[in-house]
Amino acid sequence: MKDDVFAKVENQYVNYGTRARELKNQGQKVIGYICSFVPLEIITAAGCIPFRVRGDIREPITKGDTLMETIVCPFIRSCFDLSVKGKYDFLSGMVIPHGCDSMVRSYSTWNYSLNLPYFHFVNTPSVVKESSFEFFQEELKAYQRSLEKFTGKTITDDDLAKAIRLHNENRNKARALYDFKKSNPPMISGVELTKVLTVGSSLPVTESNALFDEVLAALSQRKESPLKMGPRILLDGPCVDNIELIKIVEDSGASVVADTTCNGTRDNWPRANEKIDPVDALARRYLAGVNCPKTYRENKAGSFEGDMKARFGDIGYFSRTFKVNGAILYTYKFCDPFGFEVPARKAYYDSIHVPLLCLEDLYSAGTIGQLKTRIQAFLEMIG
Amino acid sequence: MAEEQKKPKKRMTATQAAASIGPMVKEFIAGAVRAKAEGKQKLAYTFIVCHHEEILRALDVLPVWTENFAGVCGAKRDSERFLQRAESLGLSRSLCTYALCGIGFDQWREEQGQMPPEAPWGGMPKPDFMVSTGQILCDPRAKWYQASQQYMPDVPIYNMDLPYPLFERDRDHREVWGYYQKYIAKELRGLIKFVEERTGKKMDYDRLKELVDLSDRTWNLIHETYELRKAVPCPMGTGDAMNTMVPINFMMATQDSYNFFLNLNKELKEKIAKKEGEVEKEKYRLLWGGGLPAWFALSDFNYFNAKGACFPAETTYRMVAPLYEMDIPETKDPVEHLAWRWLGYWTFWYDKARKRPGSEPDVERLISLIENYKIDGVVMHEAFSCRTWHVGLIWQLHQLGKIYKPIPVYVVTNGKKEKTYRELPSLILESDIIDITSYSEVDTRNKIDAFIETLESIRKNRAD
Repeated sequence: MKDDVFAKVENQYVNYGTRARELKNQGQKVIGYICSFVPLEIITAAGCIPFRVRGDIREPITKGDTLMETIVCPFIRSCFDLSVKGKYDFLSGMVIPHGCDSMVRSYSTWNYSLNLPYFHFVNTPSVVKESSFEFFQEELKAYQRSLEKFTGKTITDDDLAKAIRLHNENRNKARALYDFKKSNPPMISGVELTKVLTVGSSLPVTESNALFDEVLAALSQRKESPLKMGPRILLDGPCVDNIELIKIVEDSGASVVADTTCNGTRDNWPRANEKIDPVDALARRYLAGVNCPKTYRENKAGSFEGDMKARFGDIGYFSRTFKVNGAILYTYKFCDPFGFEVPARKAYYDSIHVPLLCLEDLYSAGTIGQLKTRIQAFLEMIG
Repeated sequence: MAEEQKKPKKRMTATQAAASIGPMVKEFIAGAVRAKAEGKQKLAYTFIVCHHEEILRALDVLPVWTENFAGVCGAKRDSERFLQRAESLGLSRSLCTYALCGIGFDQWREEQGQMPPEAPWGGMPKPDFMVSTGQILCDPRAKWYQASQQYMPDVPIYNMDLPYPLFERDRDHREVWGYYQKYIAKELRGLIKFVEERTGKKMDYDRLKELVDLSDRTWNLIHETYELRKAVPCPMGTGDAMNTMVPINFMMATQDSYNFFLNLNKELKEKIAKKEGEVEKEKYRLLWGGGLPAWFALSDFNYFNAKGACFPAETTYRMVAPLYEMDIPETKDPVEHLAWRWLGYWTFWYDKARKRPGSEPDVERLISLIENYKIDGVVMHEAFSCRTWHVGLIWQLHQLGKIYKPIPVYVVTNGKKEKTYRELPSLILESDIIDITSYSEVDTRNKIDAFIETLESIRKNRAD
């Protein structure tokens, strides 16, 4: 049983988008997205399938560079390159949020180069305050209207509420998967979990829920950890949708037991409130719940220490909950939102006594050798 | 480092007005240091193009333009030590170098309790508060002061959200801009409250209205003045505009800014009457089509000039549009007006772009400048550290290439088919805004030489 489900995950991870292509061929609309700020529930409520567009660190960026500057974050460049090469030609549309400059400033390039029937920008506020929620609700309603126009289907509050429940269920199951990382050694490896979550984000939410159930069932039968006892690592950073970095850590005798990444806990931890108005619930989940450095949170404490706790408290929570021995802060070159936080994050890790390795990378297989050397040295240091 | 220490060759200006800018900038940087010492006025770190100068000035706050200071460090070729300081804190050189320079400077000043040694033009004083905004343009603007606050935690930040609706081909922006305006007005009112609490002053709304009116008049005057550059020969180029951007971006809502453009307007009209151009024998008219300049290499504009090329127009730092052409609702409330003006500016080209398939606002603006200023070629600059102004340029050139083809084009005018040439070569220069290590004068000038040869070859073909 365990082999069956993990073989299925492996197959869909390697042939990413196979199921979405099948569904497209059956007449369904698949809507691509790149960032944790895109409210997926509205896509699901519209009867479409949200599909997380991935990059590929092993695919050289070629056609993309003829249309987009190389000073764009390499993750976005890779996603764009694969898109213009037709890897995701089953998409009926795409939603790009106000995530970062690399996304926003390249919006026209994406829009015109892919020329999909549906394209929409969600203007996520950059600050968190009551007026931002009011604005964001209006923006989400405009996004909802644009999808209604595209699909010809009216999205009711009930549709939204149902979609919220389904996506919350998905997040609950993802959390249950993370629970298998709490033991020492963990019963699911970081590589396995990344593959499962990545594949999950390429499926309709109901199928993703079913997949997670299968994986959970397989894990509950598992008697032995796939990893040996070793340092327990938290991976802190943006979207890490290729397994190579995690594989280096785990091949070096450690295990990635927690993360703050976009396709990890940033996507999968915050839940929408099912007891309030659905649009309000989504505004609050995506603005206040998704902890991305792009969003400015006021320093209410009036001190640097207080500010750190408010901004990086999730790191402390995951470090305690998953009993980590060290962390890797992994950022991409040209990523301003994360890049400007490196000194503050370093200070926070110091304050919670978690040893830290900072890596700036290029989202390219070409750096695997260098990463390996630095990671192995770090793991030796923390024992 | 040897190159860093070399004194940069001063760029020759075409206008008296542009020549007067250097001492003005020096004075307002020194003035901030003086004001800090005197303690009579509150100082605010802040950014350009936020439409909030009127609020700060009405409450007697002295803006300290941190991007300007970084630009000055770059122009004086004295940014490297601050960039290195920032790197030593863990910040990557791939990030916005304005911000790195500013954070490096702040950390140095705070660590020492005094200005770093030989700080350019006296340095940047510690502010009383910081007003930032990422808008939907610039992540570093949202992160910079937060990062600096680590080294001066007692300095509060007000981070304003100033969104605008992005251009969508199939949507009239007016469908959504009502709730944008409401939100922006709230953000501006939040700024007023924040500043009132920190200055102990109450906003005088009559004064605010006067300053907003003054800015509006200045906007229109700038537009009319820059339109004079359509003249052949062109009396003022982009090199000078990189000086005259100062009263646009750092002195808005002051009578000095208005007066500056009155004088420039007069000077340009005089030059036009005398047929006095930026270049003695004007051969090529170029558009600076995007990108912030390399502040340490402004003399490259003189190099273009020496080849007979002038720059009658640029998109960079021309951060105004004529108010009388903006389709925004009338209001007597100055805060509401600021919010509408913000939206009016950013959506200014949307209607025109929607009418042309395949266009979008930035492209439409380029086309308008190319046609109205009789442009022969486009030059852009890609600064590696800034995504805000430098992403999308390649794509814009692709779109232009669909209109301006390198072959003769037949157009029908008054029922007659005529052969015309619409080729428009382009050049993308690459370096940075202030990081001189990214720049090679030899490579840059070789590229310029090759571009001029292309322009010359097209000119000859057309003549034949």
